[in-house]
Amino acid sequence: MQTTVVGNYPKIPNRPRPARLRNAINKRDRGDLANEELAAIEDEVTGEVIEEQIAAGVDVVTDGQVRWDDDQTYVARRMAGVEIGGLQRYLDTNTYYRQPEITGAIKFKEPVLAAAWQFAQERSSRPVKAIVPGPYTLAALSADKHYGGREKLALALAEALRGEVDALITAGCKHVQVNDPVIVFNKGDYGTFHKAITKLLDGLSGAETGVYTWFGDCAGILPQMQELPCDVIGLDFAAGPGNWEALESATFEKKLGAGIVDARNTRLETAAEVAESVKRLSDAIAAERLYVNPSCGLEYLPREAAFEKLKVMAEGARRAEGVTA
Amino acid sequence: MVVEKTQKKSNEPVNSSTALTTTAVGSFGRPDYLTKARSAFAKGEIDRAALDKLEKQATEYWIRTQEKVGLDVLVHGEMERGDMVAYFSGEKGGLPIKGMKLGGLVRSYGNRYYHKPIIHDRLEWPGPMTVDMWKYAQGLTDRPVKGMLTGAYTMVEWSFNEHYPTRRDAVMDMAKVIRREVEELVATGAKYIQIDEPAIHTRPEADFDDAIEAMRVTVEGIDAEFHTHICYGEVEEIWTPMMRLPVKQIHLAFKNTDFAYLDLVREQGYDESKDVGVGVTDAHTRFIETVDEVKDGLRRVLELFPPERVWVLPDCGLKTRTVEESEAKLKVMVDAVRDIKLELEIE
Repeated sequence: MQTTVVGNYPKIPNRPRPARLRNAINKRDRGDLANEELAAIEDEVTGEVIEEQIAAGVDVVTDGQVRWDDDQTYVARRMAGVEIGGLQRYLDTNTYYRQPEITGAIKFKEPVLAAAWQFAQERSSRPVKAIVPGPYTLAALSADKHYGGREKLALALAEALRGEVDALITAGCKHVQVNDPVIVFNKGDYGTFHKAITKLLDGLSGAETGVYTWFGDCAGILPQMQELPCDVIGLDFAAGPGNWEALESATFEKKLGAGIVDARNTRLETAAEVAESVKRLSDAIAAERLYVNPSCGLEYLPREAAFEKLKVMAEGARRAEGVTA
Repeated sequence: MVVEKTQKKSNEPVNSSTALTTTAVGSFGRPDYLTKARSAFAKGEIDRAALDKLEKQATEYWIRTQEKVGLDVLVHGEMERGDMVAYFSGEKGGLPIKGMKLGGLVRSYGNRYYHKPIIHDRLEWPGPMTVDMWKYAQGLTDRPVKGMLTGAYTMVEWSFNEHYPTRRDAVMDMAKVIRREVEELVATGAKYIQIDEPAIHTRPEADFDDAIEAMRVTVEGIDAEFHTHICYGEVEEIWTPMMRLPVKQIHLAFKNTDFAYLDLVREQGYDESKDVGVGVTDAHTRFIETVDEVKDGLRRVLELFPPERVWVLPDCGLKTRTVEESEAKLKVMVDAVRDIKLELEIE
């Protein structure tokens, strides 16, 4: 059993710690800071959030997606055929993303994730997992002015994102995770999702690959998801309690990324609660096939609450394994 | 609901005092001196009394400006509020609802962060939260000033819930708290109460009924005219259920969607017992609409609604605009209404 995170980590701490990244971006926007200087601050903050995850006891960390404005635009804005539009509410949250507008044929230009991963891995004593935006979610949350169909767009995005994945693996990344949550809201469109993920991940070797969902359950599609060309399936048990039954009633052959700590509420679970959830999971999944993680990215929480959640999560996971902290 | 029935019959007289009533949605741009004073207060450099004085000065400015521009029903301008949920949850200067406090910073988008409130205990009314400022504003003018509150569903949806087992439990207790404040405002003399629910379409399938019930708990049996403001989000998803909200008026950001909501009125109707509040100027752009543009929008609305049922306002609160932009957006609106009334021979 290993502990991990689902993606992003809060970019700025609360007082008295300084909000360096926020201040730096403000300065850059006012023209008082060069982009290279901002990039140096992003580097430092990336190092900081990696250290925090490790200090909390996370085994497989991410770079916190510190450089990402949101899940939709960081990679897509670098593709041909994509422009960035206005703010849209992100699913059922009170957070917003800029909507990609698909105005022409999608084309991969050059990788952005591999260099960021390499930077993060050099600063981490633990394996760093790279996050790739999911092609289905990206297609669903974009404004399509070119393809005229979700499937065509999702497949074009998958093909372009494959360039990112290939570059990550070439750089030596051993954990590649595709975050593709929107399928839990559009289960009727599962075929498109399956084709897009297949196009993105089929035939890869040299890295463990995962597909993560959140904000709902995968009841009804979990059996088909077993056929996806990936090693790990991530499920949100906080917002999608239906995942318990879905998991317990299906044969689950992959590794499970179990989102059992609620990353959208500051109410802090106890280590005992976490341990209990882990034990319940171990009836369906052997410990060596289990990742324990928060229910989604941690940016819905204040930085300090995110850290506390990870600590409790790691402690609960160790307790469930019978190892004393 | 049949759309034809909502149209004015040409032989019916129009009551000029209730046709195309103009109002605002809530907040206005804050003058620089107040922005500086709020920051000084947060740092402990000035005391509450000093800030209070400047908040009232700015409030008076906005009451006078609305009178000068010619609005019919006024708002106090929310000079004392930072955020519509945080003001009731521990924001400096406000009286927090018991059981609420401000949490740490959470990212909203891009480089924007806010202190997200936390429900940490049973929710209880802490005493009047908005009455003094309403009384002050109403005391400055003969025109009615709306009481301004945030609805129970939005209060809960935009907060962390560490106390209640379910969201519904929190929403229903919150509704009782907001109701208590409504009672206090009405007892003080408020005739119009606006209860904003911009989060109401967050999860329509799971809990829209709870949001409706919360509004009922908040307003039922109270003698005042209730309005609600709903903005952005997928309003089309909740159009028909939204009509069940027990309020006299729903106001919506028509301008921002180029009046696409009129298609929904045509397709799905609009509750005949309700007035419609039509946003005619975009609150989120610095660009000032022309009078002709606003008139054009109003004409489109008047194809479907009689003027007595139409209230005219900006799309949203104007707090992200400057003082000058706020005022200009109100002025084009009032000028357009005046022209349209002349055209329709309402005066």
